[in-house]
Amino acid sequence: MSAHEHHGHHIASVKMLWSVGIGLTILTVLTVTVAKLGLPSPFDILSALAIALFKAYLVAAYFMALKWDNRFNAVLLIGAVAFFLLMVGVTLLDTMYRIEVVPSF
Amino acid sequence: MANHSANHPAHVQHHFVDSDQQFDSAKLGMWVFLVNEILFFGGLFCAYIIFRAWYPELFTQAALELNAFWGGVNTVVLIGSSLTVAMAIRSAQRNEIKGLRINLMITILLACVFLVIKYFEYEHKLHYGIAPGSFWDPTPEKLAILDHPKANIFFSIYYMMTGIHGLHVLVGIGLMIWIYIRAGKGHFSSEYYTPVEITGLYWHLVDLIWIFLFPLLYLIE
Repeated sequence: MSAHEHHGHHIASVKMLWSVGIGLTILTVLTVTVAKLGLPSPFDILSALAIALFKAYLVAAYFMALKWDNRFNAVLLIGAVAFFLLMVGVTLLDTMYRIEVVPSF
Repeated sequence: MANHSANHPAHVQHHFVDSDQQFDSAKLGMWVFLVNEILFFGGLFCAYIIFRAWYPELFTQAALELNAFWGGVNTVVLIGSSLTVAMAIRSAQRNEIKGLRINLMITILLACVFLVIKYFEYEHKLHYGIAPGSFWDPTPEKLAILDHPKANIFFSIYYMMTGIHGLHVLVGIGLMIWIYIRAGKGHFSSEYYTPVEITGLYWHLVDLIWIFLFPLLYLIE
């Protein structure tokens, strides 16, 4: 681990940060516009989630600088998302296949 | 000790080899905390998904009570604050302490704007008795629109998710005031800005959570 190998953290350019900021704003307008179209059932949620996921990617990769960071931090984030999906998936396997919804819920 | 002084600036604690190792360790620690935060909010998102799967018609109906315009404005406000916090870190990296403080101040103001808008949104709903859980007591005109036996569940989820998110915004404001004061005392430079960096990471996560909350709560048609 020589000094110059690690030296100087990545400094984001003003142009890049503003581009990401403006891109996120445009995507926000886009998600509202798409929602107002009133797409049929699965596509409204899917389009909203696709745009949200892309926005999340922009924030994580550029604002949180994972693109230039130690890869292990990105692995932690992806791992958190994977465990979240596992939690949702296993829970739905229970709740979606009950004969009757628990009355108090 | 003496032959270490070249590699050991004042901010490096004795158990770290050098400044970079200390910086990377702090950042790794913060990422582990953020994983914890994601899974914490994950539990709430899980509840959201289950109830939306059970009562899709309720979500379509109840979401109309949320104002997509103000939710959208708050989304843009948070994106703007994420941008200024990234600019603050850039300033610190370039040893521009004045720029760091100006960007932090703008971030704090934007965070306050977010909370003020949120306050008015809550106030508007509570005025009509649209409250979470057992406090659910809507006025007859609202009850006519929100005619669903489980209507209070949607609003319990709404208040819980946006409330805890709002609490995170409040904590973020506190952290940034702390960084702002420390920057004024000359604690940070391009050599040492770890607290700025990890507070920035926290703030971006708060933005990230809202990126999902906004379409999932406000934009159901």
